[in-house]
Amino acid sequence: MKKDSTGALIFKLGIILLLVCAVVAGVLGVVNEITADRIYQQKREKTFAAYSAVLPAAEYEEVGFDKSQFGTVDIIEKADGGEGYVVQTTFSGAQGMITMVVGVKESGSKYTCSGISIISHSETSGLGAVAASSSEKGESFRSSFIGKDKNIKIADIDAISGATITSKAVTEAVATAIKAVESIA
Amino acid sequence: MRIKDQFREGLITNNPVLVQQIGMCATMAITTSLFNGIGMGLSVLVILTCCNVVIAAIRKIIPGEIRLAIFVVVIAGFVTIVDLLLQAFVPALSESLGVFIPLIVVNCIIIGRAEAFCQKNTVKASFIDGIAQGLGYTGVLVSMCFFRELLGAGRFGGGLIDISNGFRFTLDGSGGGIRIFAEDYGAKILTMPFGGFLTLGFLIALMQYALKKSAKKKQLEAEAEADKEKEAAEE
Amino acid sequence: MSLNTIVAISLGAILTNNFIFSQFLGCCPFLGCSDRTDTAAGMGLAVIFVMGLASAICWVIDQYILIPLKLAFLETLAFILVIAALVQFVEMFLKKTVPSLYKALGIYLPLITTNCAVLGVVLLNVQNDYNFIESVVYGITGGIGFMLAIVLFASVRERVQFSDYPECFEGFPICLVSAGLLALAFMGFSGMSIM
Repeated sequence: MKKDSTGALIFKLGIILLLVCAVVAGVLGVVNEITADRIYQQKREKTFAAYSAVLPAAEYEEVGFDKSQFGTVDIIEKADGGEGYVVQTTFSGAQGMITMVVGVKESGSKYTCSGISIISHSETSGLGAVAASSSEKGESFRSSFIGKDKNIKIADIDAISGATITSKAVTEAVATAIKAVESIA
Repeated sequence: MRIKDQFREGLITNNPVLVQQIGMCATMAITTSLFNGIGMGLSVLVILTCCNVVIAAIRKIIPGEIRLAIFVVVIAGFVTIVDLLLQAFVPALSESLGVFIPLIVVNCIIIGRAEAFCQKNTVKASFIDGIAQGLGYTGVLVSMCFFRELLGAGRFGGGLIDISNGFRFTLDGSGGGIRIFAEDYGAKILTMPFGGFLTLGFLIALMQYALKKSAKKKQLEAEAEADKEKEAAEE
Repeated sequence: MSLNTIVAISLGAILTNNFIFSQFLGCCPFLGCSDRTDTAAGMGLAVIFVMGLASAICWVIDQYILIPLKLAFLETLAFILVIAALVQFVEMFLKKTVPSLYKALGIYLPLITTNCAVLGVVLLNVQNDYNFIESVVYGITGGIGFMLAIVLFASVRERVQFSDYPECFEGFPICLVSAGLLALAFMGFSGMSIM
């Protein structure tokens, strides 16, 4: 570094930094190009698996709903063949936000829950986390929602002991999901 | 000989977490199952080695004034590459580590090694340093996972090992691990944040104890040696 | 977007999902800069300021530059550069206006760049799909949570110095164990329903 003026020095450093950034960004662009499709595919597969776990269908199609009325509901998708809907909902549990998929079955004009699947949560392990676990307790908690309608109360389900807040939050979210489906059907 | 020394430093005497005491956030946050621990450890190992090599290679041509900025850009680049690759090929891992993969950017281990080691050493030495330090980090993560998982949930190798259908490794994080005792008897508190702080505190204490003891032993040996020489001289 | 969401985000960030005690974000400065209450408070203030500002700027960059250009994969890189520049700015600002605070924070100010709480908060804003106001609120209240934790912890540490503990726990280990006990206390907030 000879006797450059400050302005020239800053300019030179700026150019070097810019070059480094450009090279890194270029490399990232290439990596992104390679991985983007696969990442999209993985995400799609995962949602599809979650959807078909609660309400099996060949294809799902997004439908609109009144977001201002059902703030916790993210997406409602209609199952192909018209046997019902899947609702993705994000709501507050005991520790943080829970994201869950609820299947809503349509029979005549009655709407009932066909199953739930918790996608992500941050509940206490061993207590609230049981709601999403593959243990026997978790299975019976989730399956106790099947066949219930919008008037579901915490007393109707096989609640998790020691995790009342989680159980209650999930129950309310299922009721809201069914109501949301009713509102658009 | 030098290589052996470097590994010894990375794994024990200058272990990034236990002795240099940096990069602790992720160490405490994600060490709840072996799957997370090994995944995180290997990610850091790969990123650290790549960054070390690149930084050592360009160490002579980057101006001193903006070297930190350039280090950060290089590190962020490699972290994003690993993040994208994990999302594409091991989605379960990327999901369970969540925000801690991009946060490797600010993990002091990587920028610390760049500043303290790669700036002054050759590409080859930096490459070995990356592997040694990365292994040291992975070692700590794995032992944290081991204790927290065993005592907290009563199992070993959660997510990574599945024995329900014969012994096999599961790369999608679905394995139930090897059950040592029923989950209900585990000290659940160890799998919660408190357990992270406590386990790391005890591990570092253990390390300090061991290092001090070996230092004392060396000192005693040296004294004994000196005494012997003295006696020999007196005779 | 209602007041409810704002309150839920704030309470979550300060108490139930405290950045340090439940998410482990920002542990390095938390342990490194907490041996005196006044330094801790200064560090906390700097973090609140940087986190709030970083949340706002990064949200704008993400929504109006990266996403429209389909460059979302550059998020990490862009965010860390913004944060580094911001910290430089805060450093110069403090040097000119509050030299005493600048002196006290010493080497820890540049360390805010590598404070994972700051990068963490902007990444979480993206992950949680927060809008502008929610992002800023999350940033500031996350900073407040950080400050609460570090000030509490500094006052505990001032007492720990005078207590008796096994020799090998000297330094970091005893800090980690006491931080763990504080984390245990913060778990008490977790039953709080934030509906």
